[in-house]
Amino acid sequence: MTKATQALTTFALFFALWTPLFFHSSILPFLPISESLDRVIAAIPLWLIVSFGSYSLASIGYALFTFRDCPEAHQSLLAEINAAKTDLRARGVSVD
Amino acid sequence: MAGKDKYSVLLPTYNERQNLPIITWLLVKAFTEANLDYEIIVIDDASPDGTLEVAKQLQQAYGENHIVLQPRAGKLGLGTAYVHGIQHSTGNFIFIMDADMSHHPKFIPEFVRKQKLGNLDVVTGTRYTSGGGVYGWDLRRKLTSRVANYLADVLLNPGVSDLTGSFRLYKKDVLANLISATKSKGYVFQMEMMVRARQFNYSIGEVPITFVDRVFGESKLGADEIVGYLKGLITLFTDV
Repeated sequence: MTKATQALTTFALFFALWTPLFFHSSILPFLPISESLDRVIAAIPLWLIVSFGSYSLASIGYALFTFRDCPEAHQSLLAEINAAKTDLRARGVSVD
Repeated sequence: MAGKDKYSVLLPTYNERQNLPIITWLLVKAFTEANLDYEIIVIDDASPDGTLEVAKQLQQAYGENHIVLQPRAGKLGLGTAYVHGIQHSTGNFIFIMDADMSHHPKFIPEFVRKQKLGNLDVVTGTRYTSGGGVYGWDLRRKLTSRVANYLADVLLNPGVSDLTGSFRLYKKDVLANLISATKSKGYVFQMEMMVRARQFNYSIGEVPITFVDRVFGESKLGADEIVGYLKGLITLFTDV
């Protein structure tokens, strides 16, 4: 099963559970669901989307914030390039 | 202790006349200091700038047992360059890295140590964990990289923090298997290798690396690369 199939299956399962609950007054009138719970059920998909979006933004933001710069690696590389050039010329390798 | 293990470094090059001698010098230094058996396989795709001539000088300086030249007739792509390199390698482990010095050979002993610790199939360098980092990237470039990795993480869940990096150590047969299973090219190629490695249940370890953006020449990340990456991501999402 590919990742895409897994994702589709999850969506399908979710809506298979959610849709009857959302339309319960017409198709499942015997269910004792109060009006306030009704509003909660109606809001679940939007709530999930907003939560996922918030999580994504927070996750990327945090990752960006903790992304380290390494100027010291650049400095030491430049020094090594110079040492390498000197040594390579002595070994008969042409370097610019 | 110098064991029986031998490490073959695959360096696909195209117009790397400036970088090749220095990366080679750094590699020789790293392997010699760590007392590891090695060979550097230069796969030059007929660079017009004379990369191959410099490679020949390096071969004279460091010996044919350490510098192996496997030039090809033209620019034939990264995947086939690795296949070509593997076929001519004598090591039981393969290092893959960029020849432009954005990947520093000083991390090689760390890769080797990590690999031995768990007899791992793949060890991959990561810029994102503690001890890793980048130099020469502006905020836009960092954001692009983070979003790209986040998207891949959500869609493919590979369990590797740096998917688009390409400084890695593989067991030779593992790399050969992964390449034959991998279909994509460019940026996506490195990512697919990790996704496939997870799919085949290979053991994967990570070591922090620093990434210094090309000192000589330009590194490119334009709209074309981004679109290509997204397409590749969707392809993998529906394929793996």
